[in-house]
Amino acid sequence: MPIYSLNKDTSCRIVSIPNVSLLESLGIRKGIKVKLKNKQPLGGPVVVQMGTRNIAIGRDIANQIMVEVI
Amino acid sequence: MSKSSTDIETATASKRILLMGNPNVGKSVLFFKMTGVQVEISNYTGTTVGFTKSRIQLGDEEVDFIDVPGTYSLESTSEAEDVAVKFLESKPTAVVCVLDSTNLERNLRLALQIKEYNIPMLFVLNLMDVSKRQGINIDVKQLERELGARVIPAVAVKDQGVDDIRKELTKLIKDIGDEDNRIRPKGESLSNEELWNRAAEIAGRVQSFTRVEKNILERLGELTIQPWPGIPIAILVMVLSLALVVGIGKGIRALILLPFVNDVYAPLVTKLISTFIGPGILRNILVGEYGILIKMVEWPLALILPYVFLFYVVISFLEDSGYLPRIGVLMDAILSKLGVQGGSMIPILLGYGCAVPAVIGTRAATTLKERLLVTLMVCFAVPCVSQTGAFISLLGDYSVFMLVTIYLISLLTMVVVAKIADRVIKGQAEPMIIEIPNLLLPDRKAYFRKLKMRMQHFFVDAELPMLIGVLIAALVIETGILNQVSQWIEPLVVNWLGLPKEASLSLLLGIIRRELAVLPLLDMNLNGLQMFVGSIVALYYLPCLSVFAVLIEEFNLKTAISISIATIVSAFLVGGIVNQIGLLFI
Repeated sequence: MPIYSLNKDTSCRIVSIPNVSLLESLGIRKGIKVKLKNKQPLGGPVVVQMGTRNIAIGRDIANQIMVEVI
Repeated sequence: MSKSSTDIETATASKRILLMGNPNVGKSVLFFKMTGVQVEISNYTGTTVGFTKSRIQLGDEEVDFIDVPGTYSLESTSEAEDVAVKFLESKPTAVVCVLDSTNLERNLRLALQIKEYNIPMLFVLNLMDVSKRQGINIDVKQLERELGARVIPAVAVKDQGVDDIRKELTKLIKDIGDEDNRIRPKGESLSNEELWNRAAEIAGRVQSFTRVEKNILERLGELTIQPWPGIPIAILVMVLSLALVVGIGKGIRALILLPFVNDVYAPLVTKLISTFIGPGILRNILVGEYGILIKMVEWPLALILPYVFLFYVVISFLEDSGYLPRIGVLMDAILSKLGVQGGSMIPILLGYGCAVPAVIGTRAATTLKERLLVTLMVCFAVPCVSQTGAFISLLGDYSVFMLVTIYLISLLTMVVVAKIADRVIKGQAEPMIIEIPNLLLPDRKAYFRKLKMRMQHFFVDAELPMLIGVLIAALVIETGILNQVSQWIEPLVVNWLGLPKEASLSLLLGIIRRELAVLPLLDMNLNGLQMFVGSIVALYYLPCLSVFAVLIEEFNLKTAISISIATIVSAFLVGGIVNQIGLLFI
């Protein structure tokens, strides 16, 4: 399921990411564990925690990041 | 503002050392500590967009030290990455790679990618204070074995480790000697996945974690990215910032600076000049109605300086704290409806200081379309802090309601400009992906250095054009040229805009600096409607000579001219419409 559809504070493992090079450069890639911190209102970005880092990802991309809840 | 360049050719010299690493790991801080050359430093990614070069002495060797813009990888998908790759291929002598110790895995991936070029390397493990506090322990010796090079732990912003870096670098350069490194072939490239796996492997072997309580800043950092209470906090920060700049600025102006100029300085200078120079054109030019000796002090120092200073006090603090990207995240939903990402909030906010750094700051945008959109919004509708100071002088004492209305019109214009530009300019906006930096208490020394640098810029960039502007004003008035010009454009200024004939002086001087489109109106005894119309015209009017220059540099002459024409036309159009409507009610 897309990471955008998760509830906040859910941990998940990334199954696939869209072909956006910046995502992978930042370390968002297949197989890693992340936590959905929150969703900004009005269709804003999601904030994803990876290790000690927070990364904001726009909704359109977050909808293409497939994850499995763990 | 920074004297960085994007022309790699200028960087060729005998021995060159590249300073590389991920964005926002403290490269520019280290560069400053090593060279004493000041570059713009902020706590968010993409502050260094060109590169800066400086010569440094290492032992008996003089080498070029180059601050390469930060990149996450070398995939060549952005301008910064292209620059980084070109530098690596330009056969440098050595690379100093800065690693963020709080985010080792990702930083190691870039390090491994750079290592493939087989250039001698030195690693700096920076932000050791932050990682220690977060409970991350790193085995430096083990990391050195894994990377096959020296690793120096450092806290660059606090000078820790900088001497060691210099020492190790000197040794490295000496060891390389005059061996010709230009024939070193690039090694085999690992695939993306292999790079990540290798980076994860190394990170796993050298890191261990202790559980630590989050401190207040870290908890605040978390709270400020939650919609609740993040959004109320953001509003509070904005209101406080505004109150500080406008409120205290007005206080300093009204209680200290203006009385000083009007009651002490002006009478003194006038008396002094009058004793030496008889009545006539020369005396008028010096101390008359627009006397340069009076206005060159009154305008920039008494009316503008307090706001400029306070604006930079606030914005520099917000920049160094890492708070600005958080506002970008919170604003993304709204801004993306205008076709720009939340991250573009940063150049827009900078634009309230000066459009020059704002236009340069748009380089961080992911598409050319977004760069243009933000640039247009800033050029059309965001008044710089100098102009804000002038608006407050003109309108603030007359009607606060009018002052607020000008800023509402400015916001509305940004929306309209973005909407139109979004339609006209081809291309698609990309959704935002940004890393949110740690919230930090700015380092005091670095903060004051930045503030000092910005104020110096203001004095250099503002005082000279201001002087020229005041001189032109005095000359055209006293020689009667203004009268001539005013007659030509009388239909436009008097009939259409409803302003007095002399207001053409504003239009003339406004080309030089934005606040000069407002300040001459102060002495013209305008009525309310005229002040309002004059302010509208000034708001839209040309974004000043320095901005024109930066538009040419960042885009091209055609863009600069198009923006200038469009702003002038809209200034007269909107100003005139407001006047005509206003007249119906008077």
